[in-house]
Amino acid sequence: MKTAVQEWIESSRIRLQSNTFTTEDLDQLEELTSSRRQSVLYLSSQSTNMRSPISAWVLFDPSQPHAPRAPSQDPPYNSVLEAVADGWRIVQFPIAKLYEYREVDNDYIGYEFILERWN
Amino acid sequence: MARIRPTMTDDEVMEFIANGYVVLEAIVDDSYNRACADVPAGRADDLAQDGEFIRQVLLQPQAAGVVRSLLGENFRVPTGAHHHLFSEPFVGQTWHSDGLSGSGCEINEVQCYYYPRDVTLEDGPTIVLPGSHCRVVDREAIAHYNDIAGQVALTVSAGTVVVTRYGIWHRAGPKLNHNPRSMIKYSYFRQASPRRDWVVDSERPPAYHADVKLTYMGAVEAYREVVRRRRTWHWLCNLDDAASRHVEDPRPYYELGSRPVDEIDA
Repeated sequence: MKTAVQEWIESSRIRLQSNTFTTEDLDQLEELTSSRRQSVLYLSSQSTNMRSPISAWVLFDPSQPHAPRAPSQDPPYNSVLEAVADGWRIVQFPIAKLYEYREVDNDYIGYEFILERWN
Repeated sequence: MARIRPTMTDDEVMEFIANGYVVLEAIVDDSYNRACADVPAGRADDLAQDGEFIRQVLLQPQAAGVVRSLLGENFRVPTGAHHHLFSEPFVGQTWHSDGLSGSGCEINEVQCYYYPRDVTLEDGPTIVLPGSHCRVVDREAIAHYNDIAGQVALTVSAGTVVVTRYGIWHRAGPKLNHNPRSMIKYSYFRQASPRRDWVVDSERPPAYHADVKLTYMGAVEAYREVVRRRRTWHWLCNLDDAASRHVEDPRPYYELGSRPVDEIDA
């Protein structure tokens, strides 16, 4: 998952190589960095271990329209640690005591990590 | 009096217990599907009590056979229904189970989704989460959930009936187009005490053995799931003896085998 700034860097490299890089590109960078917004990624892991497989996921990106998107079977990352390696920062770890362990009853899916990134 | 024959085998009942739903693809006659597709959205009680709907849908032999297998003799047939009709693109519903459902291992009600039109992925299919039907859920507390590993989008042909264990987590999926997506929902209820009177080929009930893997579950959840499934199987078979209780232990059967030390001649 690339941030807007990462995408800018990628396209700017191409512009530099083709000598089409202009001050407008810098204006765009300024706009990107001055209007950064928090994106939030919920990853439900199969355990409190950050290397465990992902059970459920959802991204809230305020820069994107609230539009329908087809359901997916592929999580954006294979583990919480993989998301961290890609620049996400954990803002809440699952609190094991909140996950009730009573007989066979259950009302949640996995152990929820909440991550943020500023785009 | 309608005579309904059960259609499910031991293995099929076990799979239903694990997944919480079974798909009966395109079982309703297509000319009748077209008539139902034009029913107004919302409450459809008149439709549910219409003789043709009862004959073509509610007591359609395959659908009623599954219901008879799961709910026993003289089950109660719905007199109400709801037509869930979506025509415009929208982001889809959040995950939920209906009402305050989900607790317990008994099967006293099954809820059906009847689709009078084809449903593609772009139409906003119902999405179900296999194995979620024994989880009591506060829908507001999971309103942020979106994709879940192992979820199943019910992309089906017109005339399909999906029989679910009331309580299964589901949602109307994201709708990307303007094609109408219809689903008529209704429930059947149990009257008879549970007993193994579906299609059987042995007197003695087999041990529960459906090996359905649910990819969103970790190890402890998988053990809990084993207990839930065995309890439901024993309840449906009306097995309430010590031996049955013993094998509700979630461990593999080989770990439960033992004998008195006095019996060993060593």
